[in-house]
Amino acid sequence: MDRKKILLVDDSSTVLLMERMILSKSEYDVVTAKDGQEGVEKALAERPDLILMDVVMPRMDGYEACRRIRAQEDTKGIPVIMVTTRGELQSVETGYASGCTDYVTKPINGLELLAKVKSCLGQ
Amino acid sequence: MSDAGKPAPAPEPAHDRGRELREVNERLRELVASLRSEKDRLGEPRPAAPTAPPPAARAGEGADVDRKRLEAELALAHEAVAHAQVERDRLRARTSELEAENQRLSDDYVALQERSTALTQLYVALERLHGAASRAEALAAIQEIVINLVGSEELAVFERRNGVLALVHAFGVAPRVLDAATAGEGAIARAAATGSAYVAGRGAPAGPGEEDLTAAIPLRAWDGVQGVLAIFRLLGHKPGLDEGDHAVFELLSAHAGVALRLREPRAGFTP
Repeated sequence: MDRKKILLVDDSSTVLLMERMILSKSEYDVVTAKDGQEGVEKALAERPDLILMDVVMPRMDGYEACRRIRAQEDTKGIPVIMVTTRGELQSVETGYASGCTDYVTKPINGLELLAKVKSCLGQ
Repeated sequence: MSDAGKPAPAPEPAHDRGRELREVNERLRELVASLRSEKDRLGEPRPAAPTAPPPAARAGEGADVDRKRLEAELALAHEAVAHAQVERDRLRARTSELEAENQRLSDDYVALQERSTALTQLYVALERLHGAASRAEALAAIQEIVINLVGSEELAVFERRNGVLALVHAFGVAPRVLDAATAGEGAIARAAATGSAYVAGRGAPAGPGEEDLTAAIPLRAWDGVQGVLAIFRLLGHKPGLDEGDHAVFELLSAHAGVALRLREPRAGFTP
């Protein structure tokens, strides 16, 4: 089976390390970006199979990054999971409006994250 | 025939076995019904014949033979039904066992994943605290740990300075909420004085102005309590603290103070 590549976009080193450790148990290849702008660039350059996107980030937030990824022909089909501290309905709706595929709330639950990742990857 | 000693059959999906049994039962019911119908028909009194000519007598003998044959078949069918019912009960019991085993394995998997997440959180927290290159980075690491691993965007870090608590870092908290602590009152000051953590709902109540306080964690260093980490409201979607959170609190209590102390810009400082 081909190893899937996942792009992690978050300005928090804590979150990046946490996500990397959870995903590494399932043998995914991981690339990272520290803000939305870099996330859009890495999405184009790396063509990941899935993106985990934080919402509140410097330079460009996760909603805008998601919209830009959806707007580009080469990246519009990549599933995006929003990772957010905002679990309330309005934030979730904003996320879906920006084009995200699914969302998980912080603190990250490893089981939930893996389940959603596998679901988005069709595994 | 008994199945004792036979190896267990390979597990099949429960719904397939159920459907198969229902079909077997249905066929047996039809067979029994047709046999009964045939038996009744053959057993019905026949119109009396004025005479019993030899051909009719032979026909009667033939009917007797048919009836006996059908009765034997009916007995066999009854036996088959009884056997099928025993088999069905055995398969139902086996299905229940497999479902219970499946549930147990599933529960074990979830528990292991939760444990794994908790251990990962502890590793990440330690890595972030001790990987900090400066005091500012250590404070940022504490903040990130509270936001992303515990789940609160309201926190404050106090340190002991000349015997009193001084606020050194805050995020998402109104300054007036912290007045009691710096005045040496309330649960935050108590945590600093006693070295015991305050957790909402456990032990002594919080002080005035600390209604939203979730936890006050003493930050220890070599020679005692270095300061206190105060955590206020949890994120809205987080129902409460769990075992993993308490493990993170213990880790922060043991390591955050040390991480801050080691990065103090004091010349000649030795632990």
